[in-house]
Amino acid sequence: MSIVTRNNVHVTGDGPATMFLAHGFGCDQNMWRFFEPVFATRYRVVRFDLVGSGNSDLGAYDRTKYASLRGYADDMRELISELAEGPVILVGHSVSAMIGMLADLADPGRVAGHVMVSPSPCYINDGDYVGGFTRKDIDSLLATLEGNYLGWSSNMAPVIMGAPGEPELAVELTNSFCRTDPEIAKQFARVTFLSDTRAELPRLATPTLVLQCTDDIIAPLTVGEYMQRKLPSSTLQLIENVGHCPHLSAPAASTRAIDAFLEQHGL
Amino acid sequence: MNRTLCHWLDQESEALVGKRFQDLLTVGGRIFHQTHWAPLLQMQGSLSEVKLELVRGDSTIPVIVNAVRRTVEGVVVQDLALYVARDRDRFEQELVRTQKRLEQLVAEATTLHEQARIRATFAEQMVGIVSHDLRNPLSTIGMASAMLLRDDLPPGQQRTLGRITRATERATHLIEDLLDFTQARLGTGLKMVATVLDLRASVAEAVHELAMLHPERRLVHRHEGEASCTADGHRIAQLVGNLVSNALAYGKAGGAVTVTSTVDAAQVTIAVHNEGEPIPDDRIVGLFHPMTRGAQPAGGSRSVGLGLFIVGEISKGHGGAATVVSTLADGTTFTAAFPRTS
Repeated sequence: MSIVTRNNVHVTGDGPATMFLAHGFGCDQNMWRFFEPVFATRYRVVRFDLVGSGNSDLGAYDRTKYASLRGYADDMRELISELAEGPVILVGHSVSAMIGMLADLADPGRVAGHVMVSPSPCYINDGDYVGGFTRKDIDSLLATLEGNYLGWSSNMAPVIMGAPGEPELAVELTNSFCRTDPEIAKQFARVTFLSDTRAELPRLATPTLVLQCTDDIIAPLTVGEYMQRKLPSSTLQLIENVGHCPHLSAPAASTRAIDAFLEQHGL
Repeated sequence: MNRTLCHWLDQESEALVGKRFQDLLTVGGRIFHQTHWAPLLQMQGSLSEVKLELVRGDSTIPVIVNAVRRTVEGVVVQDLALYVARDRDRFEQELVRTQKRLEQLVAEATTLHEQARIRATFAEQMVGIVSHDLRNPLSTIGMASAMLLRDDLPPGQQRTLGRITRATERATHLIEDLLDFTQARLGTGLKMVATVLDLRASVAEAVHELAMLHPERRLVHRHEGEASCTADGHRIAQLVGNLVSNALAYGKAGGAVTVTSTVDAAQVTIAVHNEGEPIPDDRIVGLFHPMTRGAQPAGGSRSVGLGLFIVGEISKGHGGAATVVSTLADGTTFTAAFPRTS
């Protein structure tokens, strides 16, 4: 099977470098709707869905392979080797920032720069380290997922309150969310929120921008600061905003910060 | 602040003003809010039927949330409609429990089925190995007996040798039946090689061989109609052998056993008749199933009850069936009937 089908790859734009946009847990490549038009004017932009999310090929979901972030990192390495032209910029949201780091460490020298949007190397509190959550919180998340995926497709399909302005868009989105298998969603939640990649941070020499909102419960400020301390070549850029998705809620401020970072590193 | 919400949360309106909606949720709900429905609401402008839990002191209240996001004079406003879903929550939990229980049962059944399959395969292999290994020593006994027969033995030893020969024949047939049984039950069915043959001659030869083995019994062969048909000669001999063995074992001691073969325009029948007590009604049903046997024969235990099963399988293999009629007045007749040309 082609990885283009497997990962529902969309390539747009043109330029001297290739930018990969990797979504995080709970969504799909639709998250990049504001970034894609901005960066496609200067880069070759590759958007894709993680296997098990969005419109990826659910048949390719292998419980053993995706039982750790490494399975996703292997996919990302394949995408880079097949689709990249010129230097590679990895833009990863949330868990995909860490997947990008693992992919980089496995093929040193291939990635020129990382943009990590709201990343966290470890979500669970551990001694002095404040990840923001306890193991019990993750179980609470799994219970919430269970309650929502129970009738997900039948509940979400008819959008009874309507989607003002963009009805077609709404259909497209709900459909792609509906395709997420509840069992996959639960395993991905476990793999994401129980991951711990703190030990790898000091090994990542590639220039990295850590971008996050000033008020994010998933990746609190302490986590961003921790990342900056541990990553040898990193910049922490805070976006005055609430939430976990600055690329959606504050796209202009986010792209400005990314532009400055890329310019600084000649990308 | 909405009084109903205040009541649900057991909080004063003032305590809630200024809080964010996510602050009212469980931690799992907050993560779900941030990773799933907040971006979704932002992108598509509305959501329906998101299930969350509001925190009320030490307990939680399951609610369903519908939301619309709109911009009023440049300010983004999110309208949320909440309703309590306790019954739905209980029902859903029951569904989830039932589903898990079902999955567990299916997994158990699959494991048991797999174990049974492995045991069956093992048994089949054991029967195959034992039968195969027994055939060689039996063949040696048979050949040695035949060689002894050429010598001029005293009458007493000749009788003993006759018993050895018959016992060897029976053992050989038993093993063939076992091999056929495993093939028919666990494999692909009995192998049949049908050719055009002379049924009268084939049955006559089989009866003759059986008569040699049982010189003390009266064994008669009759043939009616034409002779030519399409059948597997070896299987026909096996079928006659099994039916005659049964007739000799269960029929009236000293009574005749009659084999009648018939070929008419369309059909072949082979019937074996014996006199004596009829087969009880409750034993007639399932008589052609494996491991079924009639009352204990006069001569003691003789086989494990595969003979009639194989008779049935041979009849089926020829496109026909085997039947039995047993009455006190007319004795017992087993009949195999199948088309003349297959």
